[in-house]
Amino acid sequence: MRLYLTLIGARIRAQLQYRISFVLDIISFGAMTTVELAVIGALLSRFPSIGGWSFREVALLYGLTAIAFGTAEMIARGFDAPFERMMQQGSFDTVLIRPAGAFFQVIASEFQLRRLGRVIQGTAALSYALAGLPIRWTAAKALVIPLSIASGATIFGALIVFSATVCFWTIKLPEVFHILTSGGQQMVSYPLHIYQGWMRALFLSAIPLGFVSYPAGLYLLDRPDPFGLPGGVIWLAPLVAGLFFLGALRFWAFGVSKYQSSGT
Amino acid sequence: MRLYYEIAVRAFRRATMYRIAYLAGIVTNSFFGALSCFVYAAVYGASGAHEVAGMRLSETISYAWATQCMISIGAGWIISDIGQTIQTGDVVTDLMRPWSFYGYWLSRTLGERLFNLLFRGSLTYGVGMALFGARIPTTADLAWFVPAVLLAMVISFAFGFLVNLTAFWLIDSSGVLTIANMLLAALSGFLLPLAFLPAPAQTIAAWLLFQAITSTPALILTGKIGGDAALRSLAVQAIWAIALSAMGLALARAALRKTVTQGG
Repeated sequence: MRLYLTLIGARIRAQLQYRISFVLDIISFGAMTTVELAVIGALLSRFPSIGGWSFREVALLYGLTAIAFGTAEMIARGFDAPFERMMQQGSFDTVLIRPAGAFFQVIASEFQLRRLGRVIQGTAALSYALAGLPIRWTAAKALVIPLSIASGATIFGALIVFSATVCFWTIKLPEVFHILTSGGQQMVSYPLHIYQGWMRALFLSAIPLGFVSYPAGLYLLDRPDPFGLPGGVIWLAPLVAGLFFLGALRFWAFGVSKYQSSGT
Repeated sequence: MRLYYEIAVRAFRRATMYRIAYLAGIVTNSFFGALSCFVYAAVYGASGAHEVAGMRLSETISYAWATQCMISIGAGWIISDIGQTIQTGDVVTDLMRPWSFYGYWLSRTLGERLFNLLFRGSLTYGVGMALFGARIPTTADLAWFVPAVLLAMVISFAFGFLVNLTAFWLIDSSGVLTIANMLLAALSGFLLPLAFLPAPAQTIAAWLLFQAITSTPALILTGKIGGDAALRSLAVQAIWAIALSAMGLALARAALRKTVTQGG
């Protein structure tokens, strides 16, 4: 852990060297994600609700999702382009001979502080939602928010690791996985009940993206799900996220064991 | 002229090589198309209205698939292909070649995007027709759509060229690119039919180039505009195509004059 903090600290300092460029990056990243929310807002100025959910209620889901996704992207970005480069240039060999775990080295190879733009914007959306929604606060409800964000970030992080592991066979990061990361982000920014039955089943089980925001939304708003999903499933989210992440780690270990160097 | 035709043909052929990549592209575009359909179904369902802002649910669904089918021709965002060659310095090789820098990139991009439209785009729209009831275009629609989408390709290319060429002055054009993509996504009708935007935003969008890239061909394919209205939209597109191409050529000339090549 000490080593991780040292390495990440160096990455962050490196990114802060170009201060103006860095600030512009964060602002433009935040602005781009604001467009996403503005689109939902524009849509809901024409329509009364999305499947019964008002703009503020959807903003709650959006905010929870954006914070979770932004955090995962910030921390696990090493499994994206940097890892792909390692695979393509054969520098993953170097990683394997160093006296530290491969998972550790890849995750420490990048820390994209500019993804903070999405987290900040998500926090703003969440605050806007919480400020205007008539939530009857209890201690449990206050706990649900950090719990949901942590679980969501873990689920997105696991997905990033899953798609990186496929790289051991395909060398190139499969574009299809954007469906699960950025597509998943977009999907769970809306209440889950608007999707078809097979999608709800899939995303509440094998690919547990459904746990990122919707259960927390149901619980906080005391809303019933039209298909009978109880808001209490939010308490399962950390368990599901943890299991999913363990699965990703196992798959990663399997991938590393199958790694064949490019031989250069 | 022959030269540029040959460049385009080669770009077209090169694009046919990446079969898995365009299959993955179709799956990805279809997933996002499906997501929009569920959201639209949910908002129309909740409002109970037959028609909102002049759009029926079936038309909005067809429109969503039309925009997804045009992503690979540059209707959703522009990329930093030219900007990267400027940043790395590879651009020098292209500038030394005995052809127009603008003409080279234009024919290369058009060749590739023509392939994208014929295979990736049409198959994506096919998925929409098969699974979500996207409208089957009439011959008349297609007769308007073909020139509209070709003009859209020229405008999208010219816009991307202008944005990318800022790298000659800024070295890193990624900030400009992000802002450009934000404007394109929000004001082109890519994320949402322009009819759903608030009135002031619609007025602004009508006077900008972005709607000529995405909204015009998408509305034609959806059957929302035809006849005289289509002719007028095509004329607007033609004006943008000529103006932006002229600006692109002028900027290329200015950039050439200031380029200093570092030896080695």
